Amino acid sequence: MKFLAVLLLSIALILEASITTIPFVLLILLVFMAASRANWLFILAFVFGILLDLMGFKTLGISSTFFIIVLFLILLYQSKFEIATGVFILAVSFLSSFGYLFLLGYHQNLFLQAALSSIIGLIMFKLVLRVNIKG
Amino acid sequence: MPKRNNFLVYFLIFLFLSLVVFTASKIGLLKPVDSLAKGILSPFQSLTYGVYSKITDFGSDSKLQVLRAQNTELTQKLINQNKLADDNKALRDQFQIENPKSTNLVEAQVIGAPGFLPGISAPETLVLDRGENDGIKVGQAVIYEDNLVGKVVKTSAFLSNVMLVTNVASSLTVKTLSTQALGVAKGQGGGGIIMDDVVLSDTLQKQDTVLTKGDVVDTNGIGVPPDLIVGEVTSISKFPSDLFQKASVNSKLDFGKLSKVFVIVNN
Repeated sequence: MKFLAVLLLSIALILEASITTIPFVLLILLVFMAASRANWLFILAFVFGILLDLMGFKTLGISSTFFIIVLFLILLYQSKFEIATGVFILAVSFLSSFGYLFLLGYHQNLFLQAALSSIIGLIMFKLVLRVNIKG
Repeated sequence: MPKRNNFLVYFLIFLFLSLVVFTASKIGLLKPVDSLAKGILSPFQSLTYGVYSKITDFGSDSKLQVLRAQNTELTQKLINQNKLADDNKALRDQFQIENPKSTNLVEAQVIGAPGFLPGISAPETLVLDRGENDGIKVGQAVIYEDNLVGKVVKTSAFLSNVMLVTNVASSLTVKTLSTQALGVAKGQGGGGIIMDDVVLSDTLQKQDTVLTKGDVVDTNGIGVPPDLIVGEVTSISKFPSDLFQKASVNSKLDFGKLSKVFVIVNN
């Protein structure tokens, strides 16, 4: 699980820094958090957030701070909602992508970008669950 | 029911670390580390963008590319012809003409061009493989074949970040080639540009070329030089009740497919 998360985050990092604004790193982090609820994801959120800021010419720490807060909120809601469900992932992906893209100044087609990100998040969640069950 | 863990400790530790890094970065304490790390990571970015460019070029129409290149060449000839005509007129009027100063250009490879959907939506910024060590400074203009690409907005020792002329935050004074109408070119995001604030008495024509009017350019090349191509007028919006008229401008460049650009470092 850890190896898969690091591998996917590395690919997402390169893609996000070079060719797309879809927040793949954020989506992978929240999908893995909903699926595994592991604390080591905070470490990955910190490291990959810093790397993303470095490669994307952003103020260092802005992405990692946002990622860590999102992961914390997901864990905070686990007592109120069942977080390992498609509906929860869809909602969290949409809201967090919207907030993240807004924070970074990508205001063009913000709703569309957030909507597409939530669908990508849902697909990734289903795939991660399948891998997790098989593993 | 899943077991609850002590995530609060992890959250607080890493939130604290992130905030420390954020504050140090804002103050500028991390600039040397930032530059070094960017230099180490840039080959990965460059490789990914290179592969992506090759993939997108594979499916593109070569005839269309030739026509685009010819169009750019003809527009440049037209601008030069206009310049010559102006020069002749000025000479006839016995005005002194100052030779244009030589321009120093730094060639830079595009190593990143993040857009929402790669290949479909236009990027808003470019990442170049040249930085402060190559004389790149914030505010310098970035061009490609006499077309304005954008302005440098951030730099590190080895890399720089360019805000495209189509970016929503981009704004610069422009004029039209044939009618000399003055206006402000504002980026609309998603590859669009609007030439706004054109007074009603000025004439705008479809397919007219829009050129930069030129900002203050200092000895470091900071600012946008005049007569760089911004794009071509595609539609005009003029109402007698409005104070100003405006036009949609289309850049001749496909920003998503640029692999090499030039930074004006000295003017």
